[in-house]
Amino acid sequence: HYDEDEDIDFSDLREQYEVRLEEGLDAFIVIDGLPVVPEESKSKLIKFLLRKLNTVGKTREDAIFMPLNDQKKSEGFAFVEYETPEQAIAAARALHGVPLDKKHTMLVNKLTDIDRYGREGRVDEEYKPPVIEPFVEKEHLRWWLGDPHARDQFAIYRGDNVGVYLNRKKEAPENIVDRQHWTESFVQWSPQGTYLISVHAQGVQLWAGPNWTRQKRFAHPFVNLVDFSPNENYLVTWSHRPIHVDEGHPVLSMEEDGKNYIIWDVATGKALRSFQTIDLPGPAVDEAGNPVKKKIQWPAFKWSADDKYVARMTQGQSISIYELPRMNLLDKTSIKIDGVMDFEWAPATPQRDGIKNYEQLFCYWTPEIGSNPAKVGLMSIPSKEIVRTRNLFNVSDAKLHWQSQSKYVCVKVDRHSKSKKSLATNLEIFRVKEKGVPVEVVDSIKDTVINFAWEPKGDRFVLITTAEVLANTAVPPKTSVSFFCPEKVKGQAIGNFKHIRTIEKKNSNAIYWSPKGRFVVVATVHSQQSFELDFWDLDYEGEKPESEKDLTANLQLMATADHYGVTDVEWDPTGRYVVTSASIWKHAVENGYHIYDFKGTQLREEHVERLKQIVWRPRPPTLLTKEEQKQIRKNLREYSKIFEEEDQYELDSANFAIVEHRRRILDEWLAWRASVEEELRADRKEE
Amino acid sequence: MRPILLQGHERSLTQIKFSHDGDLIFSTAKDQVACVWFYANGERLGTYHGHQGALWTVDVDATTTLLATGAADNTARLWDVKSGKCLKTWEFPTAVKRVEFSDDGTQLLAVTEKRMGYLGTIAVFDIKVDVEAEQSDTPRMTITCEESKATVAGWSYLGKYIIAGHEDGSISQYDSKTGEQLLNVLVHESDMQVNDLQWAPDRTYFISASKDKTAKLISARDLQILKTYPTDTPLNSACITPKKDFVILGGGQAAMDVTTTSSRQGKFEARFYHKVFEDEIGRVRGHFGPLNTVAVHPKGQGYASGGEDGYVRVHHFDKPYFDFMYEVEREHARR
Amino acid sequence: KEHEEALVRREVIDKRKTAASNALAQKEKEEATQKRIRAQQILEAENQRLREEQREREQKRLKAEQDRIRQEELKKQIEDLKTGVKGIDVSEMDLDDLDTNRLRAMKLAQLEKEKNELSERLRVTGKRIDHLERAFRREEAKILPRDYQA
Repeated sequence: HYDEDEDIDFSDLREQYEVRLEEGLDAFIVIDGLPVVPEESKSKLIKFLLRKLNTVGKTREDAIFMPLNDQKKSEGFAFVEYETPEQAIAAARALHGVPLDKKHTMLVNKLTDIDRYGREGRVDEEYKPPVIEPFVEKEHLRWWLGDPHARDQFAIYRGDNVGVYLNRKKEAPENIVDRQHWTESFVQWSPQGTYLISVHAQGVQLWAGPNWTRQKRFAHPFVNLVDFSPNENYLVTWSHRPIHVDEGHPVLSMEEDGKNYIIWDVATGKALRSFQTIDLPGPAVDEAGNPVKKKIQWPAFKWSADDKYVARMTQGQSISIYELPRMNLLDKTSIKIDGVMDFEWAPATPQRDGIKNYEQLFCYWTPEIGSNPAKVGLMSIPSKEIVRTRNLFNVSDAKLHWQSQSKYVCVKVDRHSKSKKSLATNLEIFRVKEKGVPVEVVDSIKDTVINFAWEPKGDRFVLITTAEVLANTAVPPKTSVSFFCPEKVKGQAIGNFKHIRTIEKKNSNAIYWSPKGRFVVVATVHSQQSFELDFWDLDYEGEKPESEKDLTANLQLMATADHYGVTDVEWDPTGRYVVTSASIWKHAVENGYHIYDFKGTQLREEHVERLKQIVWRPRPPTLLTKEEQKQIRKNLREYSKIFEEEDQYELDSANFAIVEHRRRILDEWLAWRASVEEELRADRKEE
Repeated sequence: MRPILLQGHERSLTQIKFSHDGDLIFSTAKDQVACVWFYANGERLGTYHGHQGALWTVDVDATTTLLATGAADNTARLWDVKSGKCLKTWEFPTAVKRVEFSDDGTQLLAVTEKRMGYLGTIAVFDIKVDVEAEQSDTPRMTITCEESKATVAGWSYLGKYIIAGHEDGSISQYDSKTGEQLLNVLVHESDMQVNDLQWAPDRTYFISASKDKTAKLISARDLQILKTYPTDTPLNSACITPKKDFVILGGGQAAMDVTTTSSRQGKFEARFYHKVFEDEIGRVRGHFGPLNTVAVHPKGQGYASGGEDGYVRVHHFDKPYFDFMYEVEREHARR
Repeated sequence: KEHEEALVRREVIDKRKTAASNALAQKEKEEATQKRIRAQQILEAENQRLREEQREREQKRLKAEQDRIRQEELKKQIEDLKTGVKGIDVSEMDLDDLDTNRLRAMKLAQLEKEKNELSERLRVTGKRIDHLERAFRREEAKILPRDYQA
């Protein structure tokens, strides 16, 4: 009976226990919109309710809790526990919006759906009836842009909690809001940062404003993924499960039955149109007869830069373009493109030489079919004019990469030799802004390009290549990181793309450009062996090597950092900070985040138990005009003076506060020691 | 601060103790032998043979005359420090997880395991600090832990209280004369075992290390929590440094709890925190597995850590260690 | 009697003869031994000398090799110094005067200088970026209420 190890790990038990608690709450619903009654009428109302409640499930009188206020009156809402969570779901679905009498309409929600606020006992204190929402004066949804210290926010999803914080660089971030069970699977910001999206089994919810109130709900049962249009006017939700709509569903109609996608109007909260998933072509079972798990295409519905169109491809056949907000098929017909493999909208309305009527543009490619070569095309919408096509040979795959202002689209073409063996990559760069859309080819790359990224708002790009991957080796092959930029030419024109430098024998696999351009982090993520983060400057203000004097870049490695187990890297929207994180979704070792400044100096490192996500809140384009911005740049020196004083003051007062705090702590300790020593002396005498 | 590596144990270390003048280090491991080493150069002075199971615990009295050990063979033993002779063997129904002499050496407590229908106990023996003397066969008193078994225990100043740490994360204060439980406080997270309890030099307060990833500084007279040291790893051991106001914490995720195969050494570090300000000051790496025990030189000259990897690492502090001071401490020193 | 004496003498003579020849043999033997020992000593000395020579040669070779390596290392370091972003002008230095320690010190100093310059430039860049962002925000905050009205 040697007891080598008595440490019994209870964590799994506790988790089970917690889950059970959760399930307990899952059987609760909240009914709102009830008449306010005095104490003596309460049981009558409960009996009345019970008849309705038992039409969809089983509950009892003592499972209905209707709190009374100080005046001994009910508050217009009640909590009900059903026998099973399924019954609660059914009740929320069937009874929501059902009128009780002329004046009162029941609003039924699952308790966990409301907010998933806390545990039993605390519920009634924190509960805010959703029914008051329409009467609240519309909050200013852009309140957060006005932080006096120009700090940015990020959301952290850890364990069961979601919190939003202000970045305070080295200091612990300042918590703005923290809610338990705010989301069920993940959180996401809308593209301009207005809304925080929470995702639940019943659908998605949008939260915003200084009080983080719910702005909208989109009831898509068992939703898996969400995607906003660039200007936040619409969103698309998707579930791998076809929607099952019951008769009398408060939001969805039979139209949605059997569908996987819903396109929603954010302003009205209405479903505009729904679609089924189109399976990618290919066999449904593999050679052994097992069902093939089809890769889902996401996003399948792609938005044009101006929110006017949303398009979906039927692989190999056509692209369907829908006009918003009516969601009618453009010209009542899909655009047939034989063999089409992929398409991407221009991320900004393209500015093209000699073109006055700006239309939206998308790029697509088709593979070799019979004796016809592979093809890349650019199509203008709504005219459907083909602006440019280009034939390509020996193509095994292609990827489309737009530059953020739609100045260029780079088609990364993986090519095989005649024998179909060796792979090489060509870059076919379409210069969209220039007359006739000339195409520049970069074919000097011998290895396979595994990653490519344009500088946002810039003309430079980074790519990562790797030699042929040997099968059955535990160690991933070494990679090389290459930087390219246009060469210097006279005037406004942009020269040809030239290779700047290649860094060999790296493990890097990911590229993260600052959203403002200029700086880029090249990292190794999701690796077991390597965790490097290289911080590069492409416009280093120091001396430039003679050999690169004809290039529009001065490349400089600023710093190399190491974040053990890093899974995610994200720049803040201003390009001043980088957050790297290790998420429990990928592994359970040292979950937490680091904050670096743009030059790779680590400002903060925090271990966060069960960290799932840390995501920066995006910002909308600046409200300032070009002229105003120019003016500020001109007077930057004046602003600098103020900021320097502010920073110094803050530093001084922070230091002062720390010293004061320590002094107090030390004094307290010494006082305690003195009293204990006194007592000890007395005890000794007694002995 | 270059460490001396003590190689002699074949299995993971369980406890390390310094003699009261700091010249000797006693160590126990799961390999059934207790060892004694010179602190100055790490040379092995001798071994204590006799136990038939993994050794869990060791203590030496204030005059470095008697050594007590406890083991998985259900015995606690008393040894002549000098000759290595076993002077006394006490048998228990279960393993002995912790032994400790009172500060005057006249009493010894032994914490026994809860197993097979036996509740955990704390047995107290009267001891004659003399290698020739006949020691008593039976405990003077036995405290039975009804609620949650004790994992560690020790004597407060003047042998006034027996303080015990429990499996459920709580700490108890017992009257050492009567065995009556005076206080029981849930100091650590519920059901997060207390793995170590070590004293400040005057035994008026102590530090507890728990699986809940924290160590706490606690007052012996009222079990008030004075300080908390949060870390990111389960803690196995903690000690309070004399001379400087630091605490040293040791721990690490056991290999079986680590979900990936990563052999990151990052967690296997001795961590130094400022005792009063609760800030982390620094870390010392070196072990290849979790640190099971840390012990500090009684005059604050150095410390030793024992790891799951079977090594004892002895560190002699250097000048920067002694020079390190917070501005407010300097200020106070000048006053 | 005379015959007896003669016999005795003869015996004595014989004895002497034997003794003499024994002595001679003994002497010759000793001499041979001496000679052998001498020869051995000479051989030993010669071997010793050869070993000595061998060792010296080996040492010389090693030193030459080390010198060569050091020289190459030196050359490489000088090349390193010349290249890099801001090469040091080594044309005026007498390369034979340089030893690796000095070179290393120069290299370190150069790296240190580059590092300092990099961090100083980036500090200035960082401040500008931060201040510009804050200035934009400050002005933007003024027009936020207008956005709210809209």
